[in-house]
Amino acid sequence: MDWGKVKFFLGEVLRNFTRNAGMQLTAIGTVAITIVLLGAFLFVRAALAGFGNQLMDQIEISTYLKADASSAQIASIQHLISSDPRVLSVDFVSKKEGLAELRARTRGEIDTSLLTENPLPDKLRVRVREPELVPAVAASIRRIDGVDNVVFGEQVVQRLLQLGAVLRRVGIAVICVFLAVAGIIISNTIRLTVFARRREIAIMQLVGATNTYIRMPFICEGLIDGVLGSAIAVLVLAVAHAALWPRLLEALPFVSLPAAAYNPGLLVGELFLAGAAIGVVASWISVGRHLRT
Amino acid sequence: MISLRGVSLTYPNGVRALDHVSLEIGKGDFVFLVGHSGTGKSSLLRLLYREARPSSGEITVDGIRVDKLRNGRVPALRRHLGVVFQDFKLLSDKTVWENVAFAMQVTGAHTKDVMRQVPRVLDLVGLSHKSRMYPGELSGGEQQRTAIARALVNNPKILLSDEPTGNLDPANTTEIMELLLRINLKGTTIVVATHNQAVVDRMRRRVVRMEDGRIVTDEERGYYYLGLGQGQVLSG
Repeated sequence: MDWGKVKFFLGEVLRNFTRNAGMQLTAIGTVAITIVLLGAFLFVRAALAGFGNQLMDQIEISTYLKADASSAQIASIQHLISSDPRVLSVDFVSKKEGLAELRARTRGEIDTSLLTENPLPDKLRVRVREPELVPAVAASIRRIDGVDNVVFGEQVVQRLLQLGAVLRRVGIAVICVFLAVAGIIISNTIRLTVFARRREIAIMQLVGATNTYIRMPFICEGLIDGVLGSAIAVLVLAVAHAALWPRLLEALPFVSLPAAAYNPGLLVGELFLAGAAIGVVASWISVGRHLRT
Repeated sequence: MISLRGVSLTYPNGVRALDHVSLEIGKGDFVFLVGHSGTGKSSLLRLLYREARPSSGEITVDGIRVDKLRNGRVPALRRHLGVVFQDFKLLSDKTVWENVAFAMQVTGAHTKDVMRQVPRVLDLVGLSHKSRMYPGELSGGEQQRTAIARALVNNPKILLSDEPTGNLDPANTTEIMELLLRINLKGTTIVVATHNQAVVDRMRRRVVRMEDGRIVTDEERGYYYLGLGQGQVLSG
């Protein structure tokens, strides 16, 4: 290892960085703002997706059985449904249990003691492995002999599936726009620093420095801008999250927002990666414009 | 060492800088390129270090076909060449030592070699005692000597200089020309573009005279103005 070379290189990067402090601050600020927006967006998207998944997980297919079904017939239907690989679980809920559940859910608002007989049929509660499979499984259950009716909140499932697809597509588009805008601004900022050093670049080219070598300090500069900007952004996001999240939970008591819908470590990692990538790509492009001989 | 065959250069704006120029310069030669401003001296030098590409013709420098050289190979060519300019092109925020070392460091040279080579060339140009000073603290002659040291630090076989004494007073001019002569005596091929009559007439070296992008005369021991010397060799 030639420490003299390392020292020279780091010295050049540092000199570059401190000499154009104003421009560096602009670049870092741009990265920070972009990453804050990106982070907030990713967070909201993750929370929405987590919320959606939670709803999806609660979706079950209520399979109401014909009133005259014998217990042997019920057992065979139960067996038939659970042999489907898409099905996670099948629970038998007798009409008695069904009534108890109804009572519990309505919290006594309906006076069930008025009923002279239990109007509920026996049912099978079917859970499916993936929300997307619910409609198909429901359709195949409906065809089984001895099944009276099948209910699964068809519209809710369709809406949630659509929401998920839209979120994915819009999300990718929004992220691309964010990164492109930040890239352009940073690329312009670094072009100014390249312009400020054009004499140096000309001399480097004159004495036979390779383009890669000339590029390297600028790429490092972009990398530092990106990482510092991301660090500021992550800090801002963390503070905002700590301040706003408890209030949000308080404001929406009936919605059980999933705390673990996103992985904070992963999100921070993604944001740093995005910041660093913007910095490197932007500086690569802006130096390239000055290198064509 | 340097060979141009039928070289023409037309700039994108339509100006014809060079018109069918042919020139041979041997190893260890000392050549003056003379002529008025805008006659193509600088353009010719620019072609040699591949700052410009000829519109037509063949250029060979130290065995490298410069006219066909790919962009990626230009750094390799430049390491065989030293180039010196009228405006010195020094970095004002680096010391003399750093300016000279810079030329080696940016080519990825080992620190060991930098530490050996930089004092050697600073000694050659007589600036060892000013190695820690900044260009702004030096006289014009000293700045040009720094630039020459930088041009020599990678041990080039050829030193190109474009009006090296253009910004200097007569005393400094003499100093620089004597330095170039010393470097030439060590075997380095030297090409100097100049319109300094006194320098050319005193040195009595090969003089290539240019007019309107063409070489009009090429004398072995020439003067700045045609007809002052003896034994003129007129060539195409």
